[in-house]
Amino acid sequence: MLVGAFACPHTPQLLARPGTEDRDLVLRVHAAFARVKRRLEACRADAIAIIAGDHVEAFFLDAVPALAVYVGTECAGTFGRYRYRFPIHEPLARTIVEAGIERGFDLFYTQEAPLDYAFYVPLHFTMPEPAVPIVPLHVNVYLPPQPTPRRCYDWGKALGEILRARPERVVLMASGGMSHFPGTDRYASPEFEYDRRLLDALAAGHGRELAAVTGEELDKMGNIELRTWATLLGAVGDAKADVYCYEPSWHHGNAVVEWPV
Amino acid sequence: MTEELHYRFPPASAYRLNRCLFALKSDDGFRARFLKDAAATLREHALEEEDAAAIVRGDRDGLLARGAHPYLVFMADLRLRMEREPVAFEFF
Repeated sequence: MLVGAFACPHTPQLLARPGTEDRDLVLRVHAAFARVKRRLEACRADAIAIIAGDHVEAFFLDAVPALAVYVGTECAGTFGRYRYRFPIHEPLARTIVEAGIERGFDLFYTQEAPLDYAFYVPLHFTMPEPAVPIVPLHVNVYLPPQPTPRRCYDWGKALGEILRARPERVVLMASGGMSHFPGTDRYASPEFEYDRRLLDALAAGHGRELAAVTGEELDKMGNIELRTWATLLGAVGDAKADVYCYEPSWHHGNAVVEWPV
Repeated sequence: MTEELHYRFPPASAYRLNRCLFALKSDDGFRARFLKDAAATLREHALEEEDAAAIVRGDRDGLLARGAHPYLVFMADLRLRMEREPVAFEFF
């Protein structure tokens, strides 16, 4: 069953803060992460299915899956001094890939690939105690052509049905966003007004609006990663979002959000 | 239209360049060797001379013009800076 749905940012400056980042802002995002952690504990989650966009870590240009499921026994990732290793909820992961393919989604799967920080930065701050296994769900966001927001939404709808039919108590988490433009001339000028308008729409229960935007619009608004949110919204439908925080830094719109399920 | 996007289809002609940036970003051993001897380490990827020179200079615009993926340029640079100046970070 699906017992919770959240969106979290994963910018690595939240984990390793350089002097360029406002410390108070970073701590406010951490406080919102702590709320998510408490909620995960209150949900008594058995597993976290986490949807993230790989930052060319698990998959390079040798093979670029649009949608993928990690079905190994465990997964690991490193970022400087940080070393992570998470057990995978293998029966759940396998059901997701099998039932997803039955429903017409040609999912890629892997049993061994490095874990990207888009997965472990939010888990670093929100993993409940005691820890639970995860299922990493990949959506290609950085290597064009990416799946359309509509496709992500439709996959999320199927994913939600698959999770609701399971005996485990599953939390769905979307990692990513909001507006940022790493490596481009727009790095210091994200589209914060776009983020705020979108959060207002989500708080009003208009989740399906994200399925209707084009990939071109997401790129233009620095929001290519919101494909992970579109996937989650497919699963939660038009539930009204509870926005824990929206903290725009000089280069990144940090939002932490929960949806009732 | 797609040429106006911030993140464009990575041209196949830039595969080796992107492969090398990917290694700088994600391969701790390669990055350590690069920090010791950049020129020799870059030869492992059989790059064109201009590509290697742009990496050594940290010439972001030059790399992008040669087909490098903006995110790979960005994170390879951040990871190199994290190792060159680790004290400049607060770790949570």
